[in-house]
Amino acid sequence: MSPLRRFLCTPEAIAGAIILAALFAMALTAPLFFPGDPQAIAGPALLPPFQDWSLPLGTDRLGRDVLAALLHGARTSLAVGLAAAAAALAVGAVVGTLAGFAGGLVDEVLMRITDAFQTVPSFLLALAFVSVVGPSLGVVVAAIALGAWTGPARVARAEVLSIRERDFVAGARVIGMHPLEIAFREVLPNALPPVLALSSVIVAAAILTEAALSFLGLGDPNRVTWGGMIAEGRAVLRTAPFLSIIPGVALVLTVLGIYLAGEGVVETAAVRRSLS
Amino acid sequence: MSEVTISRRSVLAGSALLLASTALPTIGWAQTPKKGGRLVVAADSEPRNLNPAIVASNGVFFISSKIVEPLAEASFDGKDGLDPRLATSWEGAADGLSVTFKLREGVKWHDGKPFTSADVAFSALQIWKPLQNLGRTVFKDLEAVDTPDELTAVFKFARPTPFQLIRNALPALTSVVPKHIYETGKIEENPANNAPIGTGPFKFAEHKSGEYYRLERNGDYWGQDQPYLDEIIYQVLPDRTSAASALEAEEIQLAAFSAVPLADLDRISKVPGLKVITKGYEALTYQLVVEINHRRKELADLKVRQAIAHAIDKDFVVKTVFLGYAATATGPVPKNDPQFYTADVPTYVFDVAKANALLDEAGYSKGDNGKRFSLKLLPAPYFNETKQFGDYLRQALAAIGIDAQLVNNDSAAHIKAVYTDHAFDLAVGPPVFRGDPAISTTILVQSGIPDGVPFSNQGGYKNDELDALIAKASETLDPAARTELYKEFQKKVAADLPLINVAEWSFISVVRDTVGNVANNPRWAVSNWADTYLES
Repeated sequence: MSPLRRFLCTPEAIAGAIILAALFAMALTAPLFFPGDPQAIAGPALLPPFQDWSLPLGTDRLGRDVLAALLHGARTSLAVGLAAAAAALAVGAVVGTLAGFAGGLVDEVLMRITDAFQTVPSFLLALAFVSVVGPSLGVVVAAIALGAWTGPARVARAEVLSIRERDFVAGARVIGMHPLEIAFREVLPNALPPVLALSSVIVAAAILTEAALSFLGLGDPNRVTWGGMIAEGRAVLRTAPFLSIIPGVALVLTVLGIYLAGEGVVETAAVRRSLS
Repeated sequence: MSEVTISRRSVLAGSALLLASTALPTIGWAQTPKKGGRLVVAADSEPRNLNPAIVASNGVFFISSKIVEPLAEASFDGKDGLDPRLATSWEGAADGLSVTFKLREGVKWHDGKPFTSADVAFSALQIWKPLQNLGRTVFKDLEAVDTPDELTAVFKFARPTPFQLIRNALPALTSVVPKHIYETGKIEENPANNAPIGTGPFKFAEHKSGEYYRLERNGDYWGQDQPYLDEIIYQVLPDRTSAASALEAEEIQLAAFSAVPLADLDRISKVPGLKVITKGYEALTYQLVVEINHRRKELADLKVRQAIAHAIDKDFVVKTVFLGYAATATGPVPKNDPQFYTADVPTYVFDVAKANALLDEAGYSKGDNGKRFSLKLLPAPYFNETKQFGDYLRQALAAIGIDAQLVNNDSAAHIKAVYTDHAFDLAVGPPVFRGDPAISTTILVQSGIPDGVPFSNQGGYKNDELDALIAKASETLDPAARTELYKEFQKKVAADLPLINVAEWSFISVVRDTVGNVANNPRWAVSNWADTYLES
């Protein structure tokens, strides 16, 4: 069975893949369906969903189109989630490889730094970082990555510790390769699969963290975010609950979809490994 | 002793009486206050300093006005809109150099010591003039306070000071604190700032941080039979949505200062037993203002400022952001002010085409991406409405090709960014109009104010004509002439747009219908509540 077929045999993976596909479709088509500013005032304020088909999901407190905001919010959520996860994985993999491959003092120092970051709750770290530097998309990505790179670093180090004892590493040493070249060209690519398995968890957590930051008013105010939509809807929770529920459901589905799809990938990889 | 017999007739008579007794209070006795009871009120913040003589702000007054009293309180029908409190009469000299206050007899501080003119003199000279946020301007020429006897205080001014201004300042600026408590040690660090001692109808009892403030009845209060309540509890509920549910669950009886979000009022007004009251804030009008940094070369151009004024749909703001609980503004004095307001000022109708034309004329034509220039917009974070107006303004500016980038800050960071660092192009601010333009309104326009003074002109605006007008009005003693000068001031501000006044709003109280004597003066939420009572 090909990996793709195996992947498609697990029902949860299929569900995850469908949700993810829908999400990416939403994010990619947002500028097609809603080419203007998603925060433009489009109609009467607090229009409930399914009343006016030109504004299918209704409008918020200022009369902004909820569907447009939802689609553009998907872009922000995905962008932040993927960028933060990529940054965290890259930093984590490099730190882990260096620590594991060099050993000794370098390992000690890098791992104690990792410990220090791990002891601070990652959300608090992000909160403090954003409130000091000021909210913008780049800062939010950096803030989330700041709390998320420690996991990949530890996994990468553990993998590297076992790989560096293999024969091909010794071989590379014998032919006179530079240690850094060995670390990043020979060892790191082999250590990557288990590290990448963490990515779904990190992306999901990053999307949630971004939503929480926006909810607290620490997101980029010039972009639509689902967390910001929930926060704005909260003031009218009793009168117009749909303003919080719609982005909330989107958030839940996204995180669920990423998690399920990630599980599916890990499962597939595990089966392949046990088969080989 | 005769035996009590129960007959059908006596039971019927008795039950009829019972019925009548339950029906009566709502008809005939509704005006007779009942004694006793505990009033539980929602509080949304916990001020660090509770001394209203130092911090004259509504957050502080809301709690401490029940403990510490001013010389006079605002009133709907009193002479000059005032009702006597610690002073019984006030009179200004014709030359504007002195004001004589007769003080109330038999008033005692909460610690039992008598209240005298020495306390007034001490509060005025040691606190209002040097330390108070608003008193610094109004009492800047106060030189001495003579106390010929225990119940007379004569304020002496170095330069003529309009009596009209002093009178208008009495409710908010003249909270009297006890000299014997404050004369030793540093006034700012006095423990009584956190547990105030006053002459008011309620004594400060305790404060549990994050939970509640408790005030208890002052048995020695000078008002006859007052206060009616035994206790006031301020339940700290920082989350706005929780105030509405607490009212519905009968955990609290009153939520003032729009603690219930405007969008919830329609629903909550239909809940039996709850009343939505818009009265009682007439003297506490907040103004929604676009503050402008005139250091930006684009904004220093009058045409650009006019274009921005034309781009704002004030009716939309009132209807959508304030859900109708506000009025559109024409200038720096609110429409509901009985003394100074004039409608005879230049106005700016909502007209996007005209705004675009003005910007083209000013030489800022649209670039390839449809944008003329970019601005930093800082909405004040204190109210939901200021933040929402920020969102609206960004869209309104986008419609005329100005790209506004929102910057969100918390309260402290916002004050620093706007009033100290001047790191803004446009800001949305909520200044308060306090019954006289000289108290906290002219400062928004006047030049020469040091950096870091919050809620003042920090936009680098300088207009010699306006400065001269403000200076002249501050020395004009005749009330009619002074009022005329302020009408001129409104015209000039509306014409030159040092800032843009968008709307004026006040607050809403939601209250259980068992609470009596609510909203019976124009500063009710921050008055002393001596006559407030509970029916059951």
